[in-house]
Amino acid sequence: MPLLELDGLRTGYGAVPVLHGVSLSVEEGETAVMLGLNGAGKTTTMISIAGLLRPWAGRIHFDGKPIHGKDARELVEMGIVLAPEGRHVFPALSVQNNLRLGAWPKRRDAGLVKRTMDRVFEVFPRLLERRDQLAGTLSGGEQQMLAIARGMMASPRLLLVDEASLGLSPKLAQEVFETMRRINRDGTTVVIVEQNAGVLRIASRAFIMLKGQIVYAGAGEELRRGGELRKAYLGTPD
Amino acid sequence: MLTSLVIGVFQGATYGLLAVGLVLVYKGTRVFNFMQGEFGTVAAYATWGLVANAHVPYGFAVLAGLACAVLLGLVVERLVIRPLLDSPKITLLVATVGAALLTISLTTLFGKSEGRVLAPALGSKNFFILGAGVATQQLLLVAVLAGLAVALAYFFSRTDLGLAVLATSQDAFATRVVGISVPAMSRFIWGFAALLGGIAGILQAPIGVFGPGFMTGLFIVPAFTAAVLGGMTSLPGAFLGGELVGVAQSLGIYYLERFHIPGTADLTVFALLLAVLLVRPQGLLGKEA
Ligand SMILES: Nc1ncnc2c1ncn2[C@@H]1O[C@H](COP(=O)(O)OP(=O)(O)OP(=O)(O)O)[C@@H](O)[C@H]1O
Ligand SMILES: [Mg+2]
Repeated sequence: MPLLELDGLRTGYGAVPVLHGVSLSVEEGETAVMLGLNGAGKTTTMISIAGLLRPWAGRIHFDGKPIHGKDARELVEMGIVLAPEGRHVFPALSVQNNLRLGAWPKRRDAGLVKRTMDRVFEVFPRLLERRDQLAGTLSGGEQQMLAIARGMMASPRLLLVDEASLGLSPKLAQEVFETMRRINRDGTTVVIVEQNAGVLRIASRAFIMLKGQIVYAGAGEELRRGGELRKAYLGTPD
Repeated sequence: MLTSLVIGVFQGATYGLLAVGLVLVYKGTRVFNFMQGEFGTVAAYATWGLVANAHVPYGFAVLAGLACAVLLGLVVERLVIRPLLDSPKITLLVATVGAALLTISLTTLFGKSEGRVLAPALGSKNFFILGAGVATQQLLLVAVLAGLAVALAYFFSRTDLGLAVLATSQDAFATRVVGISVPAMSRFIWGFAALLGGIAGILQAPIGVFGPGFMTGLFIVPAFTAAVLGGMTSLPGAFLGGELVGVAQSLGIYYLERFHIPGTADLTVFALLLAVLLVRPQGLLGKEA
């Protein structure tokens, strides 16, 4: 049984449809990657899964249970956590307090929160150096990392990362991908939305989204080698 | 002069206490809450009704009064604020004015418009500090204010719930992302602000004679001035602002009285408010803290 399963998901903004029946599935323990051009509907898919946008039609199952229509609060408690696109950190709170709020669903388990925070600082040493700095004064790349780190704090079963490497230097992007691999090894299933095809290195499964539909689903390795495929859908040969 | 200073400090405590509630609501929901004073009036009436008419022990009456204030806060949040959450902030501001006027009308209807006297909490002894006559009730008020200042500072910097309140005002989307229920936070903020308003009302009422709308009529404008002075989002700023307004008002009376200008107290407050808005609109401590 897949950990996450979307079946014919349709949604949009106001009366404008964006997703025209998205179906995909991700097994527990995988790192899945979703690629696609700007405006394809990747973010819309992520926020729908996370309960931040209501589906119009279709079904979403998590661990076999239907979750479409549930709100973000319930889903976070079930273990689905989003690191959103666009640096949605709490700007006037310190790095440490941002992380602490990431652990909101686990806040009554002080021991767990402490252990997770230690692990997060181990994985993101940059954030440890800046733990008392206000999140709003971090660089763009650091805020991106904070958003991912905050997601880790909830000890999720499924971590959705919308744009892991946006605005990062190639070297830092690789560093973040490596971090994602470590998070996955800790036992978290990860779905990453990316523009940078370099992410395929760590992916066990890949999707390509085009105009609100999944046009390719397969092994990450296959897409990594298949330059033709990438060229056809993403317009990038490498 | 020193005497005026002392009077100002005690007067300022009530402004500060109200201002803290204004700042809390503003921080959490970006609403200017003109209802804040009425939470105090209603709490004062409820406490007075139980003490003077039903002879309920003072402590219980105070708790019941505070409960009334919190209930009113939750009702206002549910019936006035929540349905208007997506409207322009000015609509919300006007709505809180409306709610305050309605509450004043209702207290006039049920409580009559005559002045009422609520017994002081700790007896009616007076002290003299630097020539100023100070009632025990006023000492109590300042002590409670100081205690609340410490408690709130702890709450907002050290507790998950306090951090969540700050989060709500900084990024509503991110607040939902981490799994905090925004409606639940809104309820909490209004209930908490109403509790603070209730405390202010119950502590202030015994210092004079009170009637319908007394907390709004006498205190809301200086309290807003205090909050703006402090930067509108700073809790220490609100405490400090309250004291500054109290002292400025009292010194204004002291220096201007000899010119026989009527309404010097209000005049000083408005002058101060204008000066702050013109010279330093971000307030003295204009940061989120
Ligand atoms: N809040 C919104 N209101 C209206 N339309 C929106 C909104 N958000 C996104 N859209 C539209 O939905 C479509 C898909 O947007 P989405 O953000 O899901 O794309 P994306 O694949 O994440 O793109 P990118 O790679 O640029 O992040 C776009 O045409 C966009 O203009
Ligand atoms: Mg996007």
